[in-house]
Amino acid sequence: MPQAQVTMDVRKVNDNVSVIDIKGELTAFAEGVLMDSYSQASDGRVRAIVLNFEGLEYMNSSGIGLLVTLLIRVNREKQRLLTYGLSEHYRSIFQITRLDDAIGIHDSEDEAVEAANT
Amino acid sequence: MTEQTPQPEKKQPRDAAYWARYAETLKVSGVAEGATNINVDGRRAVGPLQGFGKMWQKTYRVRLPGAEVSPAGVIRTWKTHYQEFWPEGNLFYAPLAGITPGEVALISGSLPGGVKLSTGVMVLYADEESFSLMTPQGHPFSGWITFSSFEDEDATVAQAQVLMRANDPLYEVGLRMGGHKMEDEMWQKTLSNLAAHFGVREPVETNVVCVDPKLQWREYKNVWHNAGIRSALYMMTAPLRWRRARSQR
Repeated sequence: MPQAQVTMDVRKVNDNVSVIDIKGELTAFAEGVLMDSYSQASDGRVRAIVLNFEGLEYMNSSGIGLLVTLLIRVNREKQRLLTYGLSEHYRSIFQITRLDDAIGIHDSEDEAVEAANT
Repeated sequence: MTEQTPQPEKKQPRDAAYWARYAETLKVSGVAEGATNINVDGRRAVGPLQGFGKMWQKTYRVRLPGAEVSPAGVIRTWKTHYQEFWPEGNLFYAPLAGITPGEVALISGSLPGGVKLSTGVMVLYADEESFSLMTPQGHPFSGWITFSSFEDEDATVAQAQVLMRANDPLYEVGLRMGGHKMEDEMWQKTLSNLAAHFGVREPVETNVVCVDPKLQWREYKNVWHNAGIRSALYMMTAPLRWRRARSQR
């Protein structure tokens, strides 16, 4: 199987919020990287996971499927999933697939973190 | 004459052409002979988050050893001959433009009791090595199915992966009472037919994962759009429509 063309870095903004910086391609092959990053990000008392999509270069429908399964895991842990850095194109994809019904979309990290803390 | 400053060209992402454009509701561009468009036009496309039942991810996979076909070749064939690989009793009326992003296809399926289920799907995504179909309100399940192909060691692999919830409580009961088995058999047969097209007879691997065991009770109202019930009512009222049409002649 092809290798994942993506890197994900996890940052802890404060005790409640972790950010995952996604750079590259979100496809089926990114599953391992995304789930490992989530496990790392949700250590401790984290109540919200923020996905930073500023570095997203490519996403197919399997990538959207990964976000759905991640959302279910996040909800199961009673956490919230938020995003920022989505281009107009990727915002439209969130709208078509109706992910925007369940995942908070924000313009900046500050805004996402503020929403996560409320 | 005013000089115009050239604007920097806005760079489109590589996947831009592969995705359907957002539309509030679905619109069927042409109804093929024999197809019934009673449960698709004007409906919204719904994903796995909008359904009622448990969320499942079902993966059906067949290896094509010895077939000299690339993943792109598999997907090209699958898009072109989609209907031919489906088991008998189910009809897929491909859009005139083919399986291209945003197009809507009508489906006629079989339900117990001889009822013909009229529904459809929207092409959510299509590139050279994969395509995804998303369901409308009222379809038995809420979600999408992704068809893809890739190289694995010495063989090309074809895969269908469904991410879905039953759309409403009635469908959830139906899935538990044999619907899941019917669906598994349908995709297993489809992949066997696809493999046979390339001269391969290999078993279809099936992997079923319950992603979310919770029922989404807030979505029980989806039953209003239930395409099974609406298709049955449409069939039952056919004589009335026929009589009205005759009296208007």
